[in-house]
Amino acid sequence: MTGGSSTEGVAGAALVQPSPWFEARRVGKRFGSVVALEEVDVAFRPGEIVALIGDNGSGKSTFVKIASGVYQPDGGTLLIEGREARLRSAKDARQAGIETVHQDLGLVDSMSIARNFFLGAELRRGPFLDLTRMERETRKMLVEIGLGNLRAVGQEVSRLSGGERQAISIGRAVAFQKRMLILDEPTSALSIKETETVFEFIRMAKVRGLAVLCVMHNLVQVRDIADRFVVFWHGRKVADVANTGQSEKELAEYILEGKLSELGIERSSLDTGTLRALMQE
Amino acid sequence: MAPTPAAAATVSSRGDTSPAPPGGSQPVAGGWQLAASSALTRLLRQRELGIALVAIILFVLFSLLSHGTFDSVQNWAAIGSATAELGIVTVGVSLLMVSGEFDLSVGANFAFAALVMALMIHDGYPPLEALGADIGIGIGVGLLNGLVTVMLDIPSFITTLGTFFLWSGVTLLVTGGQTVTILNPPGVLTALGGSVSGQIRAEIFWWLGAGLVIGLLLHRTVTGNWLFAVGGKRFAARETGVPVVRTRVIAFVICGVLAAFAGAVQLGHLDSMSASFGSTYQLEAIAASVVGGCALTGGRGSILGAMIGTVVLQMLDNGLILSGVSPYWYESVVGVIVIAAVALHVRIGRLTRGAEQ
Repeated sequence: MTGGSSTEGVAGAALVQPSPWFEARRVGKRFGSVVALEEVDVAFRPGEIVALIGDNGSGKSTFVKIASGVYQPDGGTLLIEGREARLRSAKDARQAGIETVHQDLGLVDSMSIARNFFLGAELRRGPFLDLTRMERETRKMLVEIGLGNLRAVGQEVSRLSGGERQAISIGRAVAFQKRMLILDEPTSALSIKETETVFEFIRMAKVRGLAVLCVMHNLVQVRDIADRFVVFWHGRKVADVANTGQSEKELAEYILEGKLSELGIERSSLDTGTLRALMQE
Repeated sequence: MAPTPAAAATVSSRGDTSPAPPGGSQPVAGGWQLAASSALTRLLRQRELGIALVAIILFVLFSLLSHGTFDSVQNWAAIGSATAELGIVTVGVSLLMVSGEFDLSVGANFAFAALVMALMIHDGYPPLEALGADIGIGIGVGLLNGLVTVMLDIPSFITTLGTFFLWSGVTLLVTGGQTVTILNPPGVLTALGGSVSGQIRAEIFWWLGAGLVIGLLLHRTVTGNWLFAVGGKRFAARETGVPVVRTRVIAFVICGVLAAFAGAVQLGHLDSMSASFGSTYQLEAIAASVVGGCALTGGRGSILGAMIGTVVLQMLDNGLILSGVSPYWYESVVGVIVIAAVALHVRIGRLTRGAEQ
């Protein structure tokens, strides 16, 4: 893996943007009387990392579950390459090219790296597993994603660190030529050093042209990885802006503005003390 | 895990199909392990190692204590015969344990299926049809265990505890507790459990055959990969697209078929069958599997290990007698061995996998 930053004009600041690979239009979801998501529009372009931020209960995970086929939206449409798409199950989404790395990573600890890499997409020779080829391909992929000299493919996943597991999961999505990568809180359990390693892998996915959706609530870390911030508040999108180097405080204010507009309060009418108290929340 | 070939553990350049030569291409970097201790870890990671050591120690011990009777060919033919039926049951139970489930009904299934087979032969049905009924009962019992466990979402420990009582009761009802004896055993029974040459009986080959087939299935096929995944982390398996429900039910069916088949083999050996035969097999099969390296929590285990585990139990039974120790010690010793084996596996696991997470 070479230098983290891409040479392609994929950042939000670029003049020519590729057309979205995946789009949600006016997507909504209710659970009984609770509105989890309300007419949300978000577009994901190849080679762009979108960070989805917002408080607990803002609709982030509902959105992720809709994009990964776990929930069906009850309003609005999903588009893949401009065509309407129905993702009825997680399998549908995966077949359409959307790989979701959940917090528990979808790896089986007691199995080898190679067997995990091909789990659900095993290579065969006649009635048997083609373990030789699975191991060779896995080794090749590990080398490609920069883990080749670090780990042997016959090792159990239980021996890997949290960062390495993330790397394997992301590497799997890249290797199977998925088009979109969804990461649910990829760094929440990682050390600072490991977080940086995982960010390298996310950037690699971006350079390979994947559309990346990254759900995070650490507003400090997210600034290092995102090309664009999408901010949810109580099921609505309240901001969708390019990463132009906003401070952590500015990001918190996007969230706060959603809160204020919901309460019907003019921001200018508030004194700094109340504002700070609200932001503390 | 599977008895992985050496190829798995070496980092080598792309394109080669054979195990990379040691010292070829890059060494294992990162300084996390010295080459020597890496070879040791690789050895220790073979789940069969611990049980193979136990087997060797017991062999030497009993050979010395029995003054030459234990390590005789005749005695090993006897041990082989005595191992075969429990061995076939254990092969199925260990596969099921890898998938994260238990089957406490194997003993009842064993007796029920074989008794139906015995009654059918007794009543003049074609012996192959009777064998078919035996296998059919195995499939049915396994399918019921699997479907009830999956659909009612209850632990298989409970499902199969229930079906153990269910089939034990049915067996007693059908036979009234009588032993069914076949006076003129047909060829099918001889082929299942008759003498091949002197004291070497056919059932040994059925056991080895079952071990080979199920071992290949578990360690070398896609279905086997899914069984490990479902037992290791069911949620992760589902996320990667493994058909979890189907895989779980298949494991119960395989276990059920092998238990019923073991009953048929037993019938072939003894030419008679009683409801009480095999009544302790569920616990002995779990003990043999655990001693052979199957994790109670699923996801880890090997068929070869479970087979050596069965031999170890049988060596104890046989060796104690030949060493002049009261055979009543057998069960107590098995108890201690089970605990010691699991303690050993946990230690080796920590050593080779690093601290438990």
